[in-house]
Amino acid sequence: MKEYNIEVLKDAAKRLLFDMSESEYETLLKEFDIVTKQMDIIGSDKSIDEYEPMSFPFECTTSYLREDIPEEPLSREDALRNSKRKIGGQIKLPKVVQ
Amino acid sequence: MYEGKSILELHELLVSKKVTPLELAKDAIELAKKDTNNAFEYIMESEAIEIASKLTEPEANNLLWGIPFVIKDNMSTKDVPTTASSNILNGYVPVYDAAVVEKLKNAKAVPIGKTTLDELAMGGTGTSGHLGMTYNPYDESKTRLVGGSSCGSAAVTAAGIVPFALGSDTGDSTRKPASFAGLVGFKPTWSRISRYGLFPFAPSLDTIGIFSRNVTDAAIVTEVLAGRDDRDSTSSTEPVGKYFEEITKPCNKKNIAIVKEIRDAVKDKEVLDAFNKTVEELKKHGYKINEVSMPNDVLASLFPTYFVLSCAEATSNNANMDGIKFGPLSNGSTFEEVMSEARTKGFGELIKRRFVIGSFALMKENKHDLFIRAQKNRRRIVDCVNAILKDNDFIYLPAAPSIAPKATDSSDRLSDEYLIADNHLVLGNFAGLPSITLPIGFKERMPFGANLMARAFEETSLFQVSYELEQITGLANIYAKGGRK
Repeated sequence: MKEYNIEVLKDAAKRLLFDMSESEYETLLKEFDIVTKQMDIIGSDKSIDEYEPMSFPFECTTSYLREDIPEEPLSREDALRNSKRKIGGQIKLPKVVQ
Repeated sequence: MYEGKSILELHELLVSKKVTPLELAKDAIELAKKDTNNAFEYIMESEAIEIASKLTEPEANNLLWGIPFVIKDNMSTKDVPTTASSNILNGYVPVYDAAVVEKLKNAKAVPIGKTTLDELAMGGTGTSGHLGMTYNPYDESKTRLVGGSSCGSAAVTAAGIVPFALGSDTGDSTRKPASFAGLVGFKPTWSRISRYGLFPFAPSLDTIGIFSRNVTDAAIVTEVLAGRDDRDSTSSTEPVGKYFEEITKPCNKKNIAIVKEIRDAVKDKEVLDAFNKTVEELKKHGYKINEVSMPNDVLASLFPTYFVLSCAEATSNNANMDGIKFGPLSNGSTFEEVMSEARTKGFGELIKRRFVIGSFALMKENKHDLFIRAQKNRRRIVDCVNAILKDNDFIYLPAAPSIAPKATDSSDRLSDEYLIADNHLVLGNFAGLPSITLPIGFKERMPFGANLMARAFEETSLFQVSYELEQITGLANIYAKGGRK
């Protein structure tokens, strides 16, 4: 497992696109100390490797064909309602390609 | 005037025209306005009055006709602000109703408000939402938690404002607050109730939850909400039982398991005494009580496994809150600046910490040691639970190690009391099993509860045994009268 320190945590936060204050990082570092001790409970037991990873409690497969019934889509007015910046019936976004 | 009444009591008043849905809604709204438990994100006054005004002809066969209720604020409500108690969603107004809201509206129940939660439903204290701590209505000193994450829904139901409330449950977010607030808190089988419109926290664990003040009301609401919904591909096609009609029939499943190590991790004498008393009474009602064992290392791994899986799923599921798809569009010359500004200002500290932990667990270097191992351990845990339920119909345990703790209390997060007694309800989420908490006693005038869990899709027998237990304790329809202006 990767070593953790303030720099690693700052890098993780940066990749998650947010920042925290220095005191918040200190709290997080202390939390990591507890969390990693708790993780050791799982890590120390090698018999866990015999199990298949479980993603969902049980199989719940869906196989159906939706009836081809025309439906009213979301209106333009509704689609734009939550946007604070709109121009000409479109949402204005920051430039993505420089 | 109508506070503290059950669904059945209100139904009787409605069909006999002793009260109208509009009068009920106005009464509940007045009580909501006087709330001092910090339980409401938004009171749906005009919306509720509009809905209730249209309900003029009583429907004798529709138990939810005209019944007021509240909704945890992590469920979409058309034209009603929905924040999930997070600043990043301030001002967000969904354009559609969650499936459960839609079903209740179709049943002509009347939503009167949106309730507070731990931010984005992550947390178990009811203190991390953007409006601050939600208080326990039983505690007039306003120092004790009501628990979370469904804190507002628990507080509103416990204060007697409405007979039932919608919550959600990823680790124990309905069933633990129910224990602290003297309520019935029910989590159905995973996939039993559509999650369309529920903001996802950890979808492999998330379910809708229901709060009520008696088991019958929980059965009534569950029956309306359960069933396949094509908009949620994980919702089940299993037939829905007649939970209400069959609740008073004797339960023909009689084997109840008590996991010794979990019970023994509870140190509070009053909680244990009350629990043991109910066990003796269940024996007198013909139930066979079997003490079973789970390995201590498996039990001690419940919380860390939950923490890794839920944080990792949450990190990914909340990536859409970026100030562009959801959240306030901030200033910035690049999309990274815009997103970073929105997320830095929009998320609270606890949420950010959980996202970093989740992200750390998913890093290439850690994924196998943390995330995959947690998934493997989940299967080990579920195998243990299913082995118990092979020979037993139910698992019965104290729901929490104590009455509601004070906000200033701290616990040793490496102790058995914390890792096992305080977190064992997550077994129901790991295995996707139906699970219900109901009150069994009081200590220092604060309620505490016990929990029953059954096999997947065996809600009918779970409601039956819970109904019998409720007759034993006599603690149906209790509520706190404090917490009003």
